[in-house]
Amino acid sequence: MPYDPGKDVIEVVRHPPRSAAASTYRIFGETLRGMKTTLARVVEGPLTIQYPEEKTPVYPRFRGRHKLHRFETGDPDNPGLEKCVGCSLCAAACPADCIRVVAAENTPEHRVSAGERYAAVYEINLSRCIFCGYCEVACPFDAITMGHDYEMSDYTRSDLIFTKEMLLAEPLERTPLRAAGE
Amino acid sequence: MPRPERKLISLTIDGREVQAVEGTMLVDAARAADVEIPYFCYEPKLGAPVGACRMCLVEIEGIPKLQTSCSTPVRDGMVVNTTVERVKEAQNSIVEFLLVNHPLDCPVCDKGGECPLQDITFGWGKGRTRVIEPKRHFVKPLALSPLIAIDRERCILCYRCVRFSQEIAEDWQLIFTERGAHTFVGTHDGHPYVAPFSGNIIELCPVGALTSRPYRFRARPWDVEGSGGVCTLCPSQCNVEFTVRDDKVTRVLARENPGVDDGWLCDKGRFAYQAIHVDERITTPLVRGADGELRPAGWDEALEAAGALAEHRGRAAALIGGQASNEEAFLLARLLREGLGSGDIDSRLGAAGELDLNLMRALAAPALQASVSDLEFAHIVLVLGTEPIDDSPILDLRIRKGVRRNGVKLAIASARPSALDHNAKLAIRFAPGGEAEFLESLEWALGTPGSGETHELAALLRDGGEEVVILWGESLSAPARATLLRIADRLGLAERQGAGLLEVPLGTNARGIREAGALPGAGPGYGEASPGRSAAQIAAAAAAGEIGALHLFQIDPLRELPDRDGWERALAGAKLVVAHAATLTDGLARHADVIFPAESGAEKDGTVVHPDGRLQRLRSAIRRPGEVRAGWQVLADLAKRVGLDTGVLTAGMAFRQLIAAVPFYEGLTLEAIGGRGLRWPETEAAAAMPAPGPLAAAAGASATPAASGPRAEANGHLLAGTYRSIWAASEVEISPALRFAVAEQVVELSPQDADRLGIEDGAAVRVAQNGTRLRGRAAIRSGVPAGTAFLAAGIAEESANALTEPLVEVSKL
Repeated sequence: MPYDPGKDVIEVVRHPPRSAAASTYRIFGETLRGMKTTLARVVEGPLTIQYPEEKTPVYPRFRGRHKLHRFETGDPDNPGLEKCVGCSLCAAACPADCIRVVAAENTPEHRVSAGERYAAVYEINLSRCIFCGYCEVACPFDAITMGHDYEMSDYTRSDLIFTKEMLLAEPLERTPLRAAGE
Repeated sequence: MPRPERKLISLTIDGREVQAVEGTMLVDAARAADVEIPYFCYEPKLGAPVGACRMCLVEIEGIPKLQTSCSTPVRDGMVVNTTVERVKEAQNSIVEFLLVNHPLDCPVCDKGGECPLQDITFGWGKGRTRVIEPKRHFVKPLALSPLIAIDRERCILCYRCVRFSQEIAEDWQLIFTERGAHTFVGTHDGHPYVAPFSGNIIELCPVGALTSRPYRFRARPWDVEGSGGVCTLCPSQCNVEFTVRDDKVTRVLARENPGVDDGWLCDKGRFAYQAIHVDERITTPLVRGADGELRPAGWDEALEAAGALAEHRGRAAALIGGQASNEEAFLLARLLREGLGSGDIDSRLGAAGELDLNLMRALAAPALQASVSDLEFAHIVLVLGTEPIDDSPILDLRIRKGVRRNGVKLAIASARPSALDHNAKLAIRFAPGGEAEFLESLEWALGTPGSGETHELAALLRDGGEEVVILWGESLSAPARATLLRIADRLGLAERQGAGLLEVPLGTNARGIREAGALPGAGPGYGEASPGRSAAQIAAAAAAGEIGALHLFQIDPLRELPDRDGWERALAGAKLVVAHAATLTDGLARHADVIFPAESGAEKDGTVVHPDGRLQRLRSAIRRPGEVRAGWQVLADLAKRVGLDTGVLTAGMAFRQLIAAVPFYEGLTLEAIGGRGLRWPETEAAAAMPAPGPLAAAAGASATPAASGPRAEANGHLLAGTYRSIWAASEVEISPALRFAVAEQVVELSPQDADRLGIEDGAAVRVAQNGTRLRGRAAIRSGVPAGTAFLAAGIAEESANALTEPLVEVSKL
């Protein structure tokens, strides 16, 4: 016995039959409208930056890789004392928990920083860092600042743990700074 | 002394009705009602408040001026305001005043992050200062002692440290010198503040003026984690908090438990944590090779070598040191009794003779046990044959507190003069080794009228008050203990609440180890067991070749036990010496064949028993360094090698086996013990304690050599007693911070004898006896009775453990 659907039949409402002109407009007209935007950009010339040969300049307040600072002496053979006293406030402020500080005491024979204590170990795990800049804000001695370097990729994770020596070293200026009004 | 009654009254704080116990200070009542009043100088542990810092000013209606809430007791119907404009202004001003001279060097200050001054400035200060004048300057940092650094610029003159020194430790060393803004804390002549409890002032200081030198710049509060534990360096078993950074203990703080330590710590407990992380620590098993050298070995090799214990079945013996946990003691006793078929196991340090099980049961009877807080509220405390400051330092503070604040009448009966003599109503000296004789005369004096100091003591004990606590030392001989029991019986201490006996054992967990069954002839819970040899008999038997193997669990008998030569022969005579040790002490280095690395107190997982019967939990705060394994695990593995399956796979299983084996621990769980411990004599299960049988008649009373021995004056020789200094511990020797304190041979002489022998205080002396010669330094103490000398035992070199006879000849070197 054939199946009688009864009242369960649902009428599918379809679009009205299309004309040839409407279909042609639908195919080409909309495409041309999109192409207008594209062709307008062609006149402006290419915007692609040939990284790494070319680099985007960064803004002065860009938060790149951290730097630790020394007091300036102006004498390259006699670097100044470190500004960092190893107070660990950066580690406390860090939301990613990527800073590790182990402090030690300065002695007259071995004076590293200006205060009583200095950072014997200062490590930033850059693979965890979220570049929020809280460390810079927390630092009472302006010893740590965020630099402009964003080129930090490396082959192993452990190479991304930056030690105090790496952070204190004069960084390679690899990233152009955006000039005023640029 | 009746404990204070608690009567509730009501008062109004900030418009809210608040209930408080009469007599509490306003600041405490407010805190209980969730109203926070800032303060620096107030610390109830230090006794009466002084109101020095003025930070806690509040407005009390009816009093025109603001009052210090820390020194104002609550009264019924009092109306207090803590948040009105006047009070706020006063708080702002006080903070501003404190910061006039306080340097803002928080980034370099060790207190930064846990500093009350920081918190209060942030919470109650104005946030700005009007002061532009230069601050006061001092030379900083200075060493107040080898352990404490002082930064006088940071001091806010709250008096906490000075009050601690004067009212708690009563060493009267710290004072304020100069006046006004130039006031600073120091000792009167600038000598280092060296005292057994000096470290507590670091924790008391509300600013960074007093900081710990070993912890200096080690870590910030957010770099570390706290881990609760129990100090295992002496029988006081103070509750501590280990500060852990990078899996290393970097600091030890007190964890206040009124039933144990009252929130204080001695410097040994506070600073000897350093012994956990030094190179001297044994971290791998050591096995003696064919050439006689100890070499690091793997665990399999070491267990294999120690498995040779099985060849000495029935001829093995074990000694267990005070730092073992209950579980370790229980497993070692099982290993020896069940695995090796021998009952020769002893845990008693000192010159303990044969075990009298009935006597031991009678002395451990739950009804007769006094608790630590009983010491503080008793009418009479008798310190008998022990020196609390050396044997259980924190009890010394507790007794001082009782005498100072609650009017406890203190009596001391000991051979050696005690640090508590000045606080005592009565201090009686007896000859070294003459405690049995003394106690017998005391017992006699209790029943017969007469005069003399023994009768005075008897009258004090009999009529001085209901609550009598007798603090007695483990070194009391068996006849003396029997007499002590009769005296306790006569005074009816068992029936009285708050009265009783409290033993000061020689080893940290001596009580727990005993209860776990590591005794000759006594099983778990003072139950019957196969007879065994006592320590002295083990030494004799091993020297005679009757014992083949010796198992030494965290003990070096050459160091810890008397008769050094006897033990030297015993260790040489044993075919196999298996030891568990954390450091390589002299005796083990020369004689042990296998050494298993032992855990430190911060690594152990288990339970210990306080001398007053309080079970406390040890929890691992840090990972075990190197290849160190848990003590229970090593014992279980070793038992397997000798053919005994203990069925212990975790620390918890060892604990459950112990609970099942000891009848009066029934129903105890680790959760119930918790962080504060649980006194088993107060539980219902205490009724399961086996009743002591009839005691042996006091026949051996006169057998003590000193009692009937020759008097000292006869040939110029002196009667020798020994003492074990608080610093006589291997942990102290290897802790870099405590190097200055390491115990040496200090021969205590009376002024009369020193005069006669021409010895000056501090002079080098020689102590000779039967060909044994010890070198030491003389210390003349006026309290030492003429004719006696006291020698340091338990030290690394020139130790009095080498002496065997009661008489010595002291001469100038």
